[in-house]
Amino acid sequence: MSFPGKILLVDDEAHIRKFVSLILRQISQPVIVEAGNGEDALKTYQAEKPELVLLDVNMPRMDGMETLRRLKEIDPDCVVVMLTSLANRESVERALELGAANYIRKDTPKDEIAKALTDIFAEPGTDEAPPSTP
Amino acid sequence: MASPPTTPPTPPLAGRKILIADDDRLNVRILGGILRGEGFVLADAGSGEQAIEVYTTFLPDLVLLDVTMPGIDGFETCRRLRASYGNQCAPVVFITARNESDDVVEGLVAGAVDYLPKPFKPKEVLARIRTHLHNRILSEQQKLLVDQLSKANQAKNKFLGMAAHDLRNPLASIRGIAEFLREGALGPLNADQLDLVETIHGASTSMLDMVNELLDVATIESGELKINRSPHDLAELVSRAVGLINREAGKKGTHIVFEHPPGPVIAPIDPAKMKQVIDNLLTNGVKYSPPGSTITATVGTDPATGRATLAVRDQGPGIPDNERDKLFKDFSRLSSQPTGGEKSTGLGLAICRKIVDAHQGTIGAQNLPQGGCEFRVTLPALQ
Repeated sequence: MSFPGKILLVDDEAHIRKFVSLILRQISQPVIVEAGNGEDALKTYQAEKPELVLLDVNMPRMDGMETLRRLKEIDPDCVVVMLTSLANRESVERALELGAANYIRKDTPKDEIAKALTDIFAEPGTDEAPPSTP
Repeated sequence: MASPPTTPPTPPLAGRKILIADDDRLNVRILGGILRGEGFVLADAGSGEQAIEVYTTFLPDLVLLDVTMPGIDGFETCRRLRASYGNQCAPVVFITARNESDDVVEGLVAGAVDYLPKPFKPKEVLARIRTHLHNRILSEQQKLLVDQLSKANQAKNKFLGMAAHDLRNPLASIRGIAEFLREGALGPLNADQLDLVETIHGASTSMLDMVNELLDVATIESGELKINRSPHDLAELVSRAVGLINREAGKKGTHIVFEHPPGPVIAPIDPAKMKQVIDNLLTNGVKYSPPGSTITATVGTDPATGRATLAVRDQGPGIPDNERDKLFKDFSRLSSQPTGGEKSTGLGLAICRKIVDAHQGTIGAQNLPQGGCEFRVTLPALQ
């Protein structure tokens, strides 16, 4: 995808949203909208129509997986990158099966996160809708 | 968490329950007289079938069982009790008139712990019964202790894992935000401000390292350490680690020299896990050697066995003889201290050993005659 103009950042921890926002602003100048839980994320997505959703896996009540599933119901073409804290292979794999475009580790040094995001933004092809399965 | 279990004193035997099964009422009376005087609680049965029935409600601590009874005999009764109650079954002692070794052997094979020959000698009866009741009580206590310990250990691992997981994210944010400030991304800092931000960055980094080590221990102890071994170049892994760690070591004037044969040193390893071992041994070398030291890392293959080895030699104080057995254990900090104010959790080498064990390799340490210490990891040969 190309560098997104508007990003929805979903994490229940405010310090993570602050930290990741700082990184995003350093890479490009996107409009960042935030949500602190899954329900808010769904509402904000519909109101703001962001080009990218950065979505925390571990959240109380509606977790990242459930939020991802509902986002895909609302908009099958929405681009979601999961924010994980430990490379929990199982949940990452499940998220990718559910249609997440990629994942990044939020507990790594900021330069690594910045590089991972830049790589994802620079990846060709992901801005088109994923091919529909027959 | 459960309080640490303590060994309770052996309780008195009075009040323990004994089931006597014998069709000869006289025997029941004689045994009853001997045992009641000692404060045991008794029940009796006139046949094997009745003994099994009484057992279910009486739940005795010991069973005295006559061999020859109408209906099923003593051996069969014993077998059925053992089959129903397994290892929980109360010890069975046979009563046998004929002190014949065939009977004794069949009884022991059926699961009995002992036999009492008729006619009864009261002192012998009591001595044997006391011994078996004591054993029973001890094994019950042991089982209870093992249960308590394994529950306490599980709780500890769960707590470790949870605490570490929950501490990780905020620490990573603190470190990351400090990095932003340090780089002046939000405006220039003066020297004092920069010094404070550096302190925040340093402290959060060492806390993160500590939390990561705790998580490693919790993961390993709960049996979730998964090693995916495939052929990798050990020399390349070490070379990369030496390059990175030399940057930090340079601040102490310490330098790591890397010696390796030309070409790759291939071994079956999980590169991410082995990297942890390599990083740990190299940073330990830097940590415990005086500033300005030279650390030597050597990688090679033993031509005889085909096993790849990694040796790290430092110029530290070596390992005192009386602390050798603590070296690779959890939370075992030795008397030697880091020489540049670095932190130690006492977990690093324990984690190394567990990872190397999981690779089916060996790890050891040896003081060198010229001073310093050599840590050596040997990995299995390629299949």
